[in-house]
Amino acid sequence: MAVTVIEVRNLVKKYGSFAAVDGISFEVMKGEVFSLLGPNGAGKTTTVEIMECLRTLTSGEVRILGMDVNKETLKIKGRIGVLPQDFNAFDFLTVKENIEYFGGMFNKSLPADDLIRAVDLGEKRDVWFKKLSGGLKQRVGVAISMVNDPDIIFLDEPTTGLDPKARRDVWAVIQELKAKGKTVILTTHYMEEAEVLSDRVGIIDHGRFLALGTPHDIIEQFGTGSRCIISNCDDACAQSLKQQWPGIERKGGDIVIKLENKGSLPEIIYTLDRSGGNYEQIQVTRPTLEDVFLRLTGKKLHEEEAPPPTEKKGLFGRKKKEKGVA
Amino acid sequence: MANRVLVAIKGEVKTFWRNKSTIFWTVAFPVLLILLFGAIFSGGGTGRVDIHVQDLSDTPASQAFIVSLVDTGSVNIINVSKGTDIDQYIKDNSPYAVLIIPANFSEAFPGPGQSPTQLQLRTDPTNSGSSIAYSIVAGVASQYNLYFAGGTNWITVGMSDITQTGFSYIDFFIPGVIALTSMTTTIFWMVSVMTRYRTNGIFKKLTTTPITRYEWLTAQILWQLVVVFMSVAVIMLVGILVFDMHLTLTPLAILVIIMSSALFSSMGMIIARFIHDEETASTAANAITFPMMFLSGIFFNLAFMPEWLQAIAKVLPLYYVGEALRNTMVYDNQVAAVNNALVVLVLAVVFFVAGVLLSKWKDE
Repeated sequence: MAVTVIEVRNLVKKYGSFAAVDGISFEVMKGEVFSLLGPNGAGKTTTVEIMECLRTLTSGEVRILGMDVNKETLKIKGRIGVLPQDFNAFDFLTVKENIEYFGGMFNKSLPADDLIRAVDLGEKRDVWFKKLSGGLKQRVGVAISMVNDPDIIFLDEPTTGLDPKARRDVWAVIQELKAKGKTVILTTHYMEEAEVLSDRVGIIDHGRFLALGTPHDIIEQFGTGSRCIISNCDDACAQSLKQQWPGIERKGGDIVIKLENKGSLPEIIYTLDRSGGNYEQIQVTRPTLEDVFLRLTGKKLHEEEAPPPTEKKGLFGRKKKEKGVA
Repeated sequence: MANRVLVAIKGEVKTFWRNKSTIFWTVAFPVLLILLFGAIFSGGGTGRVDIHVQDLSDTPASQAFIVSLVDTGSVNIINVSKGTDIDQYIKDNSPYAVLIIPANFSEAFPGPGQSPTQLQLRTDPTNSGSSIAYSIVAGVASQYNLYFAGGTNWITVGMSDITQTGFSYIDFFIPGVIALTSMTTTIFWMVSVMTRYRTNGIFKKLTTTPITRYEWLTAQILWQLVVVFMSVAVIMLVGILVFDMHLTLTPLAILVIIMSSALFSSMGMIIARFIHDEETASTAANAITFPMMFLSGIFFNLAFMPEWLQAIAKVLPLYYVGEALRNTMVYDNQVAAVNNALVVLVLAVVFFVAGVLLSKWKDE
């Protein structure tokens, strides 16, 4: 029987009059990998940091393993594992020492060597943290997030800033967690990552959910259906296709046809064959979460948006603008 | 809780030994300070004046007189040979005191057919050593006259140091360096560790674990105590080995050092609370510690300073730390030491409570 481990109801987080999270609700079941997907500044991190007891909420209710985040902060912290955004550990401690350090913060902890094996860092066990590459540091972060054998693991943008190889290494570690039956909450702005790793996805923008469900369901519901692309089509081909499907698009030499039903594809091939014309190849594309997102919000998911200017308190409490926003 | 504090301390200990620059500031810096100031103010000069003597008489009587000068313990005698042209000698060597013992010197000694004689002392009045040279030569001559006249020393002067067992500048200075070290070590540590951990995300990661800010701050303060006492040990060792100082760490001194470390750790916490950028915060720490360093009577006795500066010194926490340590370690004035220590205690409590209340981990 599915057990609910996270319940979020009408969660609102306001900074002044700006609502970073504007009334979202969802549940996560035990053993699920649940992703919050959205561009920078959408409210993903705010949402998870409230669940991690790092931020307070303005209104609504959040329960982690049945405990209220407002009341049982320390108990919750003991049973969750967190890889915060921009994770860092102690530069002058080794991988093993860092894991043991954070393990020491909990009442119970797993042996560091087991965790090192789990994230495949055996060779780097006694290397100072500062000497590791970004991808390896993230793996240390994942190991540390498991150090208290948590029931729920939160990974906040675990692959941001990593090269594709390092990103896939981190994916492999997350898939391991999933295989072990851990509940994982993942935030990302990489569509592919969410599609590959998650059981369910919540697409979030401006602090609200635009869609919530399995990647497949979301694509079915909000996607535009599959398309067939015939590249480098000559005029003869184009003519016969147009007779059959008057609504087709022509982009340069390519022709794009929406596949309304399963029978369309053989028909297209038959038509092309009969036309006697030439074309290079036929390609069928399925819409991705990326397309869904583009459709729902009108913007690309990982185009780098400037985050809202954060105010920092300067000397004597005067407010100053943060310098050099990257 | 105790376990988390210990784990946090252990982490800092390892980081400390692996980071060479922190060792420099805890060990090498105070040692350099002592060596430098110790050399300037106490070692080096012998405190004697140089008198160049040309003995034209060269008799047992004149030689006895020169021995008497040496016996005062306050002069170095440089012999100028009899045949030297003294004016040329002065041009060449720029002495500030030249004594010429005339050829008829031994005739001044009592006996039949004797007559008085006159020593020639040529001095450079712009040099402070010249008047000392005159006093010494004249003093020795008077002793000879008194002796020849068969007189008695009716009035004598006994001289001793005001401090009890011959304390030197280094004994004054070392409690000051201990006070100073307890301030700089802790303030700069707190400011740098808090701003760095906040910037690089370690605080955030720590916040996701059950450790509380009280536990973390306790760990830092305890660890700083260890570092400060390491510095104190090195300072005392250098003081004893190099400068032959006479100080002991009294129990009250140890208490004052503990309170001072807590006081300045908390001050660092407060600075880091308001200034988030690491460089700006360390500039602010400098701006606070630098005036304290010079105005709290660490390097020089405050009595040399104008009164308004002395008034400023008396609102600076470091002044009370230095005074408490000096009173208990040097002057053995335990009443004054306790009074100053009480001021340090009150300040430490106030700053600690303010520091803990002001520091926050959670982004509200």
